[in-house]
Amino acid sequence: MKIFTRFGEFLLMIKGMFTKPENWRMYWKELMHQSVELGIGSLGIVGIISVFIGAVSTVQTAYQLVSPIIPRSVIAQIVRDTIILEFAPTITCIVLAGVVGSKISSELGNMRVTEQIDALEIMGINTKAYLIFPKIAAALITVPLLVIISMTLGVWGGRFVGELTGILPHEIFDRGLNENFMPYNVTFALTKAYTFAFIITAIPAYFGYNVKGGALEIGRASTTAVVTSCIIILLADYILAAVLL
Amino acid sequence: MISITNIAKGFNEKPVIEGVSAEFQTGKCNLIIGASGSGKTVLMKCLVGLMTPDFGQIMYDGENFSDMNQQAKKIMRRKIGMLFQGSALFDSMTVEQNIMFPLDMFSNDTRAEKQKRVDQVLDRVNLSEAHKKFPAEISGGMKKRVGIARAIVLNPQYLFCDEPNSGLDPQTSLVIDKLIREITTEYNITTVINTHDMNSVMEIGDRILYMYQGKKEWEGNNKEIIFSKNERLNNFIFASEFLKDAKDMRMLEVSGKIDDKRDMDQLLKG
Repeated sequence: MKIFTRFGEFLLMIKGMFTKPENWRMYWKELMHQSVELGIGSLGIVGIISVFIGAVSTVQTAYQLVSPIIPRSVIAQIVRDTIILEFAPTITCIVLAGVVGSKISSELGNMRVTEQIDALEIMGINTKAYLIFPKIAAALITVPLLVIISMTLGVWGGRFVGELTGILPHEIFDRGLNENFMPYNVTFALTKAYTFAFIITAIPAYFGYNVKGGALEIGRASTTAVVTSCIIILLADYILAAVLL
Repeated sequence: MISITNIAKGFNEKPVIEGVSAEFQTGKCNLIIGASGSGKTVLMKCLVGLMTPDFGQIMYDGENFSDMNQQAKKIMRRKIGMLFQGSALFDSMTVEQNIMFPLDMFSNDTRAEKQKRVDQVLDRVNLSEAHKKFPAEISGGMKKRVGIARAIVLNPQYLFCDEPNSGLDPQTSLVIDKLIREITTEYNITTVINTHDMNSVMEIGDRILYMYQGKKEWEGNNKEIIFSKNERLNNFIFASEFLKDAKDMRMLEVSGKIDDKRDMDQLLKG
């Protein structure tokens, strides 16, 4: 029963975000601040992960494709499609669920425990709208961009390692990239990115906003938020794949 | 003036406050006192709308706060300032930004006008040197003063203070009490203070509401409290031997049994 109660509370939180802002300029400022925090702040980790995922994909695909009847350019096609379809949106968002999710959850949890949220409420500010909505909106703006960057860096990482190790010369890799390319895959990846962006911000915001207690509970809320976000990302990943592919 | 009628609030079917009625007068420091767990914080949270009472009515100068919808409550809250027990300052903002925040959110003043108002309130709480400091860089007493400055920056009609002296030394507590008293009379606002600091009770208790196990046990002022015959109140207020002796001395002094230093010396020897 608890899960239904929590789901109900979550829906009420989302509903509560949609009110007329007290001051548009302050909300815009907060949206920009959150976009920088979530987007620029996550650029480093997303870049590192993407390059290595691309590199490992090339090496492992080449290792498995030993048949002489399969052209070497197929390696690039496989790397490209796995990165676009799965690695860039899903792995990036799972990593972001840890980085961004724990940050959102602990930030809001700390604000709740130290009565900063109550202070905002007393001022007559809708805290759900002012504290949670800009975070979700910022994620919806920046996460798809991060996923596009991740796709580019992942493919580049695979190409670079292929050339570096001699597994696949870059001319063959580039030819493979252009063969059988389906633009719909990018649309599908971006659909995933928007869905996951909502999950990795809304769920930690719910757990952080509703913290009761002290430092220990903030830590617990943060862990629960990250674990729950990851599970729901994987579930959503399957559902989207089953429905859209 | 704020009047409350028959307020009740419980959690998990356990009553925390039951049938509390009182009036908090304008231009006066109205104190809610009581032991920990007596329901005074819950009562204050009901008053400001952070909790919804199960029963009862809250009236702000004739306006029924209990029956207001969320939008009307939001507008009413702009007339309310609150000082929290832990100050509740925004950690990531400087003192100046903390005080500027309500102005940025709700006022259409120019940047210069807002800055002038911030300087004014910081001057008023004697913190004109702390503009650029972060909450982590200032003392507990200074945090409380910044909290007061932020609470009064929008010229509220009602000021609520939740344990304003908790964690402060007696001297700083007196400074905070004096400041709250001055602001209350200067701006003619209705101030409600939750406290169990006896110095505050005696110094600024224009109206005192004593709560015991969620119910109103006694009501009066700081003159009447000394002579109260209420045993629970006396046990709470004059908890230590020192305070009991101080009360006896005051009673003797008032009844004229001691009137100068010599008599007091005799009494102490006796």
